[in-house]
Amino acid sequence: MNDGPLIVQSDKTLLLEVDHPNAEAARRAIAPFAELERAPEHVHTYRITPLGLWNARAAGHDAEQVVDALITHSRYAVPNALLVDVADTMDRYGRLTLTKEGLADSPEGTRLVLRTTDRPVLEEVLRHKKIKPLTGERLDDLAVVVHPSERGTLKQELLKVGWPAEDLAGYVDGEAHPIDLDQADWHLRPYQQHAVDGFWHGGSGVVVLPCGAGKTLVGAGAMAAAKATTLILVTNTVSARQWKDELIKRTTLTEEEIGEYSGARKEIRPVTIATYQVLTTKRKGAYAHLDLLDARDWGLIVYDEVHLLPAPIFRMTADLQARRRLGLTATLVREDGREADVFSLIGPKRFDAPWKDIEAQGYIAPADCVEVRVTLPEGQRLAYAVSEPEDRYRLASCSDAKLPVVETLAEQHAGEPTLVIGQYLDQLHEVAERLGAEVITGETTVKERQRLYDAFRTGEITTLVVSKVANFSIDLPEASVAIQISGTFGSRQEEAQRLGRVLRPKGDGRTAHFYTIVSRDTVDADFAAHRQRFLAEQGYAYRIVDADDL
Amino acid sequence: MATSSRSLADDIRGRSDAELIDLVLARPDLARPAPADLTSLAARAGTRASVQRAVEALDRGHLQVLEAVVVAGDAAERSTLLHLLGTDDAATVDAIVQDLWQSALLWRGADGDHVVRTVPEVLGTAVAGLGAPMRELRPSSLPEHADPDHIRAAVAEAPDDSRAMLERMTWGPAFGVLPTATPGRTTARWLLEHHLLVPVSTDRVALPREVGLVLRQGRLHRSAELTAPDIEARPVSLVDAAAGGAASECLTHLDELAATWGAEPPRVLRAGGLSVRDLRVTQMALDLDPEHTAFVVELAYAAGLVADDGEVVPVWAPTSEIDEWSSSEAGHRWSTLAVAWLGSTRAPHLVGRRSTGTGPANALGPDVQWPAIRAIRREVLRELASLEPGHAADHTSLRERLAWRRPNRSAAVLDEAVEAVLRESEWLGVTGRGALSEAGRALVAPLLPPPAPPVRGGGASKAGVANTSNGRRPARGRGDRANGSAADITSNGQTSAEPGAVAEAVAAAMSAHLPSPVDHILVQADLTAVAPGPLVGGLGSFMRLAADVESRGGATVYRFTPESVRRALDAGWTAADFTETVRRSSRTPVPQPLEYLVADVARKHGQTRIGGAAAYIRSDDEAVLDTMLASRDLTPLRLRRLAPTVLVSSADPRVLVELLRDNGFAPVHEGQDGAVVHAETPRRRAGARRRGPGPMVSPVDRPYTQSLVDGLRAAEATADQRRVEDETRPGPRIQAMDPVVTLSLLRDAVADRHGVWIGYSDGHGATSRHLIHPQKVEGGRVRATDESGHEKSFSVHRITGATLES
Repeated sequence: MNDGPLIVQSDKTLLLEVDHPNAEAARRAIAPFAELERAPEHVHTYRITPLGLWNARAAGHDAEQVVDALITHSRYAVPNALLVDVADTMDRYGRLTLTKEGLADSPEGTRLVLRTTDRPVLEEVLRHKKIKPLTGERLDDLAVVVHPSERGTLKQELLKVGWPAEDLAGYVDGEAHPIDLDQADWHLRPYQQHAVDGFWHGGSGVVVLPCGAGKTLVGAGAMAAAKATTLILVTNTVSARQWKDELIKRTTLTEEEIGEYSGARKEIRPVTIATYQVLTTKRKGAYAHLDLLDARDWGLIVYDEVHLLPAPIFRMTADLQARRRLGLTATLVREDGREADVFSLIGPKRFDAPWKDIEAQGYIAPADCVEVRVTLPEGQRLAYAVSEPEDRYRLASCSDAKLPVVETLAEQHAGEPTLVIGQYLDQLHEVAERLGAEVITGETTVKERQRLYDAFRTGEITTLVVSKVANFSIDLPEASVAIQISGTFGSRQEEAQRLGRVLRPKGDGRTAHFYTIVSRDTVDADFAAHRQRFLAEQGYAYRIVDADDL
Repeated sequence: MATSSRSLADDIRGRSDAELIDLVLARPDLARPAPADLTSLAARAGTRASVQRAVEALDRGHLQVLEAVVVAGDAAERSTLLHLLGTDDAATVDAIVQDLWQSALLWRGADGDHVVRTVPEVLGTAVAGLGAPMRELRPSSLPEHADPDHIRAAVAEAPDDSRAMLERMTWGPAFGVLPTATPGRTTARWLLEHHLLVPVSTDRVALPREVGLVLRQGRLHRSAELTAPDIEARPVSLVDAAAGGAASECLTHLDELAATWGAEPPRVLRAGGLSVRDLRVTQMALDLDPEHTAFVVELAYAAGLVADDGEVVPVWAPTSEIDEWSSSEAGHRWSTLAVAWLGSTRAPHLVGRRSTGTGPANALGPDVQWPAIRAIRREVLRELASLEPGHAADHTSLRERLAWRRPNRSAAVLDEAVEAVLRESEWLGVTGRGALSEAGRALVAPLLPPPAPPVRGGGASKAGVANTSNGRRPARGRGDRANGSAADITSNGQTSAEPGAVAEAVAAAMSAHLPSPVDHILVQADLTAVAPGPLVGGLGSFMRLAADVESRGGATVYRFTPESVRRALDAGWTAADFTETVRRSSRTPVPQPLEYLVADVARKHGQTRIGGAAAYIRSDDEAVLDTMLASRDLTPLRLRRLAPTVLVSSADPRVLVELLRDNGFAPVHEGQDGAVVHAETPRRRAGARRRGPGPMVSPVDRPYTQSLVDGLRAAEATADQRRVEDETRPGPRIQAMDPVVTLSLLRDAVADRHGVWIGYSDGHGATSRHLIHPQKVEGGRVRATDESGHEKSFSVHRITGATLES
């Protein structure tokens, strides 16, 4: 029995004791194959999943390294069944490879071939109803031709049956276009550079970075590496504008070279930024803007916020397997559980850094998370008790008992840039009225939104009340206080995004504050518990205080 | 004794004490109950039941040699045996023959080895897949039809299709159904005409033994497998650490099982056992797969830690032993489990399997009882112990070895059981990463023989032929278990080590490798607590109570939830004690949210209270209630004040009304809806009683007395008459004998065509004497011709004794 920092559990979780002297070494050893699941202050939990192991295989690690890492750092004997399972699982990756092979009779032509080193595996997968039609002529015992258009779908299906294929078919270079980073007054941070390198060497894949850690710059770095025409897919128009601003500022690209393809404008330029929404718009049952994907010979496709990628985009992506793909996200956790599609269609995880590490490096602000519990007045408690279950959440989270608390908090942080975030418009307007602040909701025009953001950024206004439209991809560099008054039902992803709002680096190194106001003894508190668990698991200690104690 | 012919008995009588001890050790069933003398020992050794046991215990090597001896016939040359077996390894064959003699499946006459007569019966007609000999199949056949040269010539002439038909029957079964189609008929007809097949009924044919042997080129088996196949082993590291980890987890599972069942014991099914649903609930609680759960449950049962509590509504509950067990040192706890597992006759892997038509077998139910599993378990462990320490067996070769040891078992059943045993030993920690752990070795040590070569050396071939029979046919069977190699002690063959000492050694061996218990936890802001090892007793129970287990293994991850905290408060913990215990046990500061959680749950805990009362008293006049409370006469009512205007009592409302009236109050009765119920004079009625007929007793009257006396007279007369007959009847006096001896004597008589006097009791208990010539002993009956030459059948159980005709 050695005294390692790692405990390997029979349910395939790994517990890492953070304060152990060898914890760092152990973390480095297991990071390639284990997903960090929870990172509270003392013991971090990693999980070994098939996807994680295949990610590791894709990154060039083999089973022996994994087993060795586990045995070396483990405090207790590692369950044998687990080691066997690791070896078996990893062995499945790479038995099938997708390659591009030249045709003997025509030196120009190539074809896509699914090859195996192990005939029974090929036989097994070819027996699947969904896989058989994706393949063509059988070349020999160990190889079968694949229709080039089915490259993505095939990879998806193969992953589903547990035989992930290694895609060695390479990428088209796309139409070359000069892009360089303009690093006159700034530099890529070391971890951003690592992320870019990791992606570029892997060919395609996903980079996982916390909000505020500069994912846009990783995108820019990747474009500079590709030096080719690029299609960037983002969640909404505001986000598209921010990408555009950032690219103009950080790269040699000029405004004329960057096009916006959204509901409002349809520009196709060497670098085009499109929203998911416009791509998934249907007209007469067909996707109206599908042509965009083939409008140019794109050399790189960037997916912002991969964890929000809508299903139709996955289907479109299946046809784009010959192009390099970069996914950017703060979390690989998808609430719809489609992680496997991200793996097979965008690519394996190429870079990952836990929030806390980046925070420790000073690139994102430390945060103080506080849950404030208000007690509902008796009348509301009674109303709550007799209400229909579907109304309860709204009743609890919109309680006007929260309003004075918001005011108190806003007073305490007067002068600091403060965001009040909520779900229900009535409530938001009420709060805005009380605080004398502006509201941004889905109804606010893009222009108005830009104006308010700019005002907020310059410090002209210090308080903004926002609905969930602000969850994604807005950039509010100086927000240092966030007050959450209601949210969607305990979504962990949302919590991450909202926390992200206040985590951008502060000029003066101030601590960020993140308040959640919940009604005691209601579903509101239950959902809050859910979200807080996520925060704690991300390593943010939080406190619970009673409203009266503020 | 009349005996020149009964040579197994002679053989046995001639054995030395040591040889007799070997015999009884090899066939322990001979010793129970203790036989009266060597003759009855010999007789018992020849019984079908005992021989069957012995033959079933033979490994494939011994079985092959035994079959060869049977086929070769009495007193066959050694070279004949070697030829039949297709081997030239005379030393091994000699050693095996010696083993077979030692366990009295063979006996030695002056002319050579004879097989005990019951052995061919036990082996059945199809010895090694061969058919019966020509003469048995068709007594009228000519001797030349059984002559190998003749047969060889006939086979050589056979047309191709006929030869193909023969080849299909060569390695058994040696029976076939006649084809109905013409070409097949023709093919078969040729074979029948040339006496290569013999018809046994209108549509079935048999391949005579002699023909089979020729087709097999004189070999009895496809290949001689006289020695055990090797087990492939590979070295593995960290065996004891892995075993220690598994053992520790296993103990945790037992603790959790005890906690779960202690709180909510599952019902005992009417047929015994645990319902599928309860097993699933337990499975969820332990977070294991179904098979592993069944194992844990059965293990707890085998170790006596849970049992049917025997109440009116019986439940499976932890036994009182569990408290002592829980508080003892981990090594000892484990050793209790391991010893119980080794001796258990229950096969957890059968849980959930369909048993005979009754649906899936329930855990703890009768269908999981399978005594054979104990022997299999021991054999598996013995084989593992035969490997070098730190070596894991390749499962396939291990299964082959075990199949060789027990050729009579169904391979599929055996393989499944072996896999189950290997899995269980891994779960338990008897093995680690497939190799026997140190503690596992200590556990198995008593099962192993003192060091001895696996097969005895060849020298002893023809020893011990003392006192061989005098030339008549061999005697009545005895003899059995020839259980080959010395490593194969019988299923219950524990050597003499003290059980206590074994448990002690096992505990000591395991203690060294169990992770040492920890006395602290690490509490974190996400409301989890990590115990980085097995927790010391008190803290362990607290954590199991106060938090839910989220992940198990070397460490345990607990999560505090409102429910778990409430559970602890329900169990009598106060918020302050709770927090204090966590603070004391935690190496890390207790996070504020946990304290808040405990305080929050405590705030609500007990906000509403619930109790039972049989009646209430309410009155708007509080003074009246005050009087009632103060009244000494009303103390039996145990009145309690819930609110200024409400009292409750555990007495029945009617009693309350009455007693209050007696004391000068004037209460009225209130109904469910709060309205006053006006009293009528109560008239209660019980349900009508049903009357059945009373018991009938027949009187002791004249007719009854008469018949009684008549019966006694008749019995007396019969006895007298028997006495007279006994003296006047011809033939010897027959003493009552041990039925086993009688049977053996009758079998001898069949074989030797000898007459026998038997005592036979009829349906009224009268015994008569008969001189018979037995022809067959089977199915509990003796078929024989009596003095007048008529064929008769006698029930063996009615034969009081027998003696050979002088």
